[in-house]
Amino acid sequence: MNDAILDLAERVVGKVLELGADEVSVGVSEGSHTDITRRDGKVEQASESSTRRLGLSLLLDDKWSTHSSSDLRPEALDHFLERAVAATRFLEPDAARRLPPADLCGRGASEASLDHFDPAWKAFTPADRATLAQQLEDAVLARRDDDFISATVSASDGWGRHVQVTSHGFADATEGAWYALSAGLTLSDADGRRPEGHASYAARYRTDLPDIGRIADEAVERAQEAKGAGPIASGKYPMLLLNRVAGRILGTLSGPLSGYNLHHGQSCLAGKRGLRIGSDVLTILDDPTIPRGLASTPWDGDLMAAVPRTVVEGGVLQTYYLSTYYARKLEEQPTTGERTNWIVPPGVRSWSEIASAFPRAILVTGFLGGNHNALTGDFSFGIRGRLLEHGVPTTPLSEMNVAGNTLQIFHQLVEAADDPWTYSATVAPTLVFEDVQFSGT
Amino acid sequence: MTRDVHLAVTEHFARYGVDEALIGPALAAATAHGADHAELFFQHSESTSIGLSDRIVNRVHTSVDLGVGVRVVVGDQVGYAYTEDLTLEHVLRAARTAAEIARGSGASAPVRVAGAVEVPDFYPLSRSWGDVELSERIPLVRAWEQAAFDADARVRKVQIHLSDGESRVLVARADGRRVADLRPMTSAWVSVNVEDGGRAEHGSYNVAGRTGLELYDPGRQQRLVDLAVDRAVKALDAGSAPAGELPVVMAAGSSGILLHEAIGHGMEADFNRKGTSIFADKMGRSVAHDTVTVVDDATLPGSRGALNVDDEGNATERTVLVDHGTMASYLHDEISARHYGVAPTGSGRRQSFRHPVLPRMRATYMEAGPHDPADIIASVKHGVYCETFANGQVQIGGGDFAFYVRFGYLIEDGRLTRPIKDVNLVGNGPKVLAAIDMVGNDLVIDEGGWTCGKDGQGVPVSQGMPTVRVSKLSVGGGR
Repeated sequence: MNDAILDLAERVVGKVLELGADEVSVGVSEGSHTDITRRDGKVEQASESSTRRLGLSLLLDDKWSTHSSSDLRPEALDHFLERAVAATRFLEPDAARRLPPADLCGRGASEASLDHFDPAWKAFTPADRATLAQQLEDAVLARRDDDFISATVSASDGWGRHVQVTSHGFADATEGAWYALSAGLTLSDADGRRPEGHASYAARYRTDLPDIGRIADEAVERAQEAKGAGPIASGKYPMLLLNRVAGRILGTLSGPLSGYNLHHGQSCLAGKRGLRIGSDVLTILDDPTIPRGLASTPWDGDLMAAVPRTVVEGGVLQTYYLSTYYARKLEEQPTTGERTNWIVPPGVRSWSEIASAFPRAILVTGFLGGNHNALTGDFSFGIRGRLLEHGVPTTPLSEMNVAGNTLQIFHQLVEAADDPWTYSATVAPTLVFEDVQFSGT
Repeated sequence: MTRDVHLAVTEHFARYGVDEALIGPALAAATAHGADHAELFFQHSESTSIGLSDRIVNRVHTSVDLGVGVRVVVGDQVGYAYTEDLTLEHVLRAARTAAEIARGSGASAPVRVAGAVEVPDFYPLSRSWGDVELSERIPLVRAWEQAAFDADARVRKVQIHLSDGESRVLVARADGRRVADLRPMTSAWVSVNVEDGGRAEHGSYNVAGRTGLELYDPGRQQRLVDLAVDRAVKALDAGSAPAGELPVVMAAGSSGILLHEAIGHGMEADFNRKGTSIFADKMGRSVAHDTVTVVDDATLPGSRGALNVDDEGNATERTVLVDHGTMASYLHDEISARHYGVAPTGSGRRQSFRHPVLPRMRATYMEAGPHDPADIIASVKHGVYCETFANGQVQIGGGDFAFYVRFGYLIEDGRLTRPIKDVNLVGNGPKVLAAIDMVGNDLVIDEGGWTCGKDGQGVPVSQGMPTVRVSKLSVGGGR
């Protein structure tokens, strides 16, 4: 544990209590971040930074406030804390605000089992970063054809540690590193368009990143599939939602499941716990304990131990996301206020095998804009992808939308493919839906 | 006034040890290996937000951010580093890190030529936000809440946020130029839930400006509440839009989101110098009807997109992007201006000292045209009228873009009929620009709090539009 930031957090807790607060929670984060971006054969941008920041929540006479600062000079911090406490006094009491009971606070997984810190990160030199970026660029450029315009790649990595201390005895720290690689290229098209393709990957361990050839292949494939793209006729089609973008439609459940929306009457899933909200295929697990998981965490925003929970099982809604604050408001028991890794169990068949049964279906490979109404469940998103004819990709698609409703779409989920995407906090396979409304021409 | 601001900001940073004794060595370190351009971007931001829900003013958040970003430019290559510690040791370390980009480049260090630069004042402050007590903000929020409940018996819940703050920036460039700015910002958001006969909906309205407490004049306070309630109530009766390609009429005001996505991003010069924008080969060519003139303007007083000076220390301006249908200018930062051999347009912006500069929009709008808005609606037999918006996105190279319509109407036989909501519209930038065939005489600059995202950076922007007709867009309804 870094004594300097732990000491700082403990000092601030003591100081804010001295100033009159009843309860205090202080977090201090420090970290570093490096990025090398290359374009068309040379370094376009190299950036490096180290950072430190303090966050504070305090409760005073049932009045609650939050504050943050990057100016951690002692004299500045004292002034900042005095102003924070003074500002809190202006508020009106909200009896639902307070730290969770101390016995609910703690760790769901040890640092060792979370395995967020790659020991090799310390030995990852600027030369290593430069080499990695160069290799990725070489891989992309090796795949260029006559239609090539430009390619940009980046190699990023970082490290961070966070300590959290409360006035009721919680004190803990967590530390992790991360790596990311991305590649994008622009091609020329016959109609003057310059279609783009991108591929991005992130991982906790460098050795968990895919081979750079795979990243380059994917970027090229995405750009190539965008060439000649356009809309087809509006109508209902089977939809294959590619694994890496499945989070967009699954994500329409997140808002309605939140205590915030449930409490404020803005959730289409209010009153649906224990009821069917989708087909038998729909199962979602929330697991903050996955080793090296991108959204794994030892504790949640309330400092309650982060533990796995089933969100939806066989189409039946099992739980809501209730922080201690909204649980009190709703007179419920708290679960957790934040979603972590979402796991959708895979099926047994490949998506192409599944699609072969459909004369015409739409494979959605990306989204463009769109939004979702958490209260009504209505959504409408722009898409790009391919028309599938008996499972074979044919016409490239763009300038189309998919529209539906959260309360309906998951009843149309008929199968999950066998290809879970592990480079995201939403670990889902390609999902297959029937009778989905697309708009085009 | 401007000289006062420069002195005040300079003296402010001096209290943090930022003076020529720090700046000189730091710039020397930044340019030690040569550079075409280098700058230090000091920033000190303080902000406050309060929130009301469940009929109590129960949240306050304050934030302080202090630091410096060091950028070294060689050709189109950028070295960047930042630190939140303004001691000489840490600033020098950041400068040496940024300078690595120039090692072996053979570039020449800029010549020191200038001193402090006076800038215009597009956001005069009658009173600093630092002098406004929370006790003055809370009655405002309380009044808005009561007005919302009074406005309609169907209102069940009200939530309100009021945010404000000031950012002091000092740009110290290796060519000797020193530019300071004091940038206020405030925004307010009112959200209401309504219920009627078992149906429920919500609606919200927000206002924002680079200004002080004076933003909240009686008329604006009234709109803030009334339009939030109005949007929620109208949404109760709204249904799905149709699906497919239809004529679309964009209402005056926040319809500027179409310009922002369809052409604005594509006119940012970094994409064009790299050849990755669909507009890269269209400069000087006709891209729209001659009634279409598109402007990106940093000089609208008090607007959210207003800037006295950009984040590279360059003068800002009103930039005409499309002049009567002909592409006229990109939005330039230093790098792209040097690439194209033109003057910067004052479009170099960054989210904070933690981010390098990019060419960005400020306030993007279309000049008023010749048509009566009523005639534009009357001209459409079957189409969609888009009134309020949430968000948008664009693919720069392919030109495809999307924007999300929160509320609008079906147009049938030239009249607004059935209300519609929650529909995404997609199109292709150059095609849609060419498909704008009627432009109204009713330009409105939207007063809302828009934020533009690019490369992970968010910056405040404004947008505006007269009523326009687009002959064809893909409408994502049909639920």
